[in-house]
Amino acid sequence: MHGFPNLGHGIGLRTVHYREVVADRPAVDWFEVITENFTMPGGNPRRVLRAVRERYPVVLHGVSLSLGSVDPLNEAYLSDVAELAAETEPAWISDHLCFSSFGGHTGHDLWPLPYTEEALAHVSARIVRVQERLGRRILVENVSSYLRYAHSTVTEWEFLTALCHRADCGLLLDVNNVYVSAKNHGFDARTFLQGVPADRVGQIHLAGHSADGPLLLDTHDHPVCDDVWELYRDAVARFGPVSTLVEWDAQIPPLGRVIEETQRAAAIEAEVTASGTAVAFAPSQSWEASHAG
Amino acid sequence: MLAERSLGAVEGLFYRLVTAPQGVAGALSGLGLTADDLVVSDARLDAAGRLEVYANMYFFRLLDVLRGDYPKTLAVLGDAAFHNLVTDYLAAHPPANPSIRFAGDGLPAFLTGHPLCGQRAWLVDLALLEWARVDLFDAVDAVPLCLDDLGQVPPEDFVSLRLQPIPAHRVVQVCFDVAPLWQAIEEGAAPPQDAVPREAALLVWRKGVTVWHRAVSVEEAELLALAARGATFGELCERLGASLTVEEAARSAFAHLARWTSDELLTRALALTTSDPTERNGTVL
Repeated sequence: MHGFPNLGHGIGLRTVHYREVVADRPAVDWFEVITENFTMPGGNPRRVLRAVRERYPVVLHGVSLSLGSVDPLNEAYLSDVAELAAETEPAWISDHLCFSSFGGHTGHDLWPLPYTEEALAHVSARIVRVQERLGRRILVENVSSYLRYAHSTVTEWEFLTALCHRADCGLLLDVNNVYVSAKNHGFDARTFLQGVPADRVGQIHLAGHSADGPLLLDTHDHPVCDDVWELYRDAVARFGPVSTLVEWDAQIPPLGRVIEETQRAAAIEAEVTASGTAVAFAPSQSWEASHAG
Repeated sequence: MLAERSLGAVEGLFYRLVTAPQGVAGALSGLGLTADDLVVSDARLDAAGRLEVYANMYFFRLLDVLRGDYPKTLAVLGDAAFHNLVTDYLAAHPPANPSIRFAGDGLPAFLTGHPLCGQRAWLVDLALLEWARVDLFDAVDAVPLCLDDLGQVPPEDFVSLRLQPIPAHRVVQVCFDVAPLWQAIEEGAAPPQDAVPREAALLVWRKGVTVWHRAVSVEEAELLALAARGATFGELCERLGASLTVEEAARSAFAHLARWTSDELLTRALALTTSDPTERNGTVL
């Protein structure tokens, strides 16, 4: 598929690393930034983003599109994203399969959706509108979840598969989220990987999580655990070499430690792809071509 | 029993449950529902416990943000009282902006009518100062005027010079002298529990990437406001001349200009007007 090149192995740009990233130009393939942290017009965040963008590919990763909300799409926010994208020229834009607002109020969280036909139709239509507004195909990420709705009618991976095809969007596969949700709900994480469409996976996320009582929480405050590395190995075997990013958002270690995680990801990818199996991200045509006229 | 399971009904119920100040169980009870009407229970955790995870995430994420935005207010109130304040605030002012950066923008106004301010009305002023500092951190950039720029202005043109304050500045009017209180906490002193009632103007601005503030006189605040409205340097001198001699007014105006330039408080886009009305737009440095 056009629009989602393999950028290699990147990390999320975080405030504590700004100075070092700008001054030292560390050996990182690319950076992902949280869109909402850079939509304000001035000050240090935009200055840093411009400096980073001069040297690295950058991707915009949002948390506030609220793709599943029954609220109207926030046009002012979409304009902010479009303006930031025009300045930053990101390799792509992504957000999450969730809702985060209701009644005009925002929760600043990634709330799970019921997996129903009604939700599928609703989210698909909103993604189509977002893609038309931004003039590009977006990636939609699977979230970690801590509950399942009693009236869901399909699995998360079935929902995502149908969504990718109906909305003609790509999938940001968060391997840690798959693992966390699998543990929290008792499904097989590898069944999830097998269930999503290989030709739609445009990016992979890796992160650490933490245990909280009987559940795992997607806290991004630990290294990637061994089980998730194993799942990543399976993901690379199924999806091929896909742009991969390590998220670390709390208890953030020195930059070098985060980079070590990307190096480990690169080594696993090299090892797996050398052994043969790889399916490149390859829907039949570009978003522009499939939406022309 | 949940009567309707449309997407809107489900999202609305979820939102009410996870944002309820009384907690998920209290909200469910008030609605005559059980968590299992909405969410699947299993051996790991029951449905109500799973909803509580989201309720805790909602509150504590926002609490963390507000603790970061209002560190001095937090220091004065202490953890428990600040926690309760945020509980009340979020119930009255749930966030509405897609950016969590704005989650605390209504706290100073909310404090005005809050019981915590009954004996400490100055908390409002402290919060106003803290929010101004947050708000200017990422305000619109501008290239600042420097002394070299002023050196290029012919002496006879100063009178028609328009001084434009940078967008990243604000004058906060306060009723209590909270700047020393802010500074004391910043320097690690035990949080003061009182502030002197004294009306003051606090200038808050961003120099480079750092936000500063300082108390300014009524006169300086008025001059900044005049400049922001497009007054020329000569008009600022005229304003000062209302209570000073011409020489004193000019000296005072140049002193303000030097300070503002040193503080990087003026934009470099100086419009040099001329006495000829046909050339009002003048030149820009």
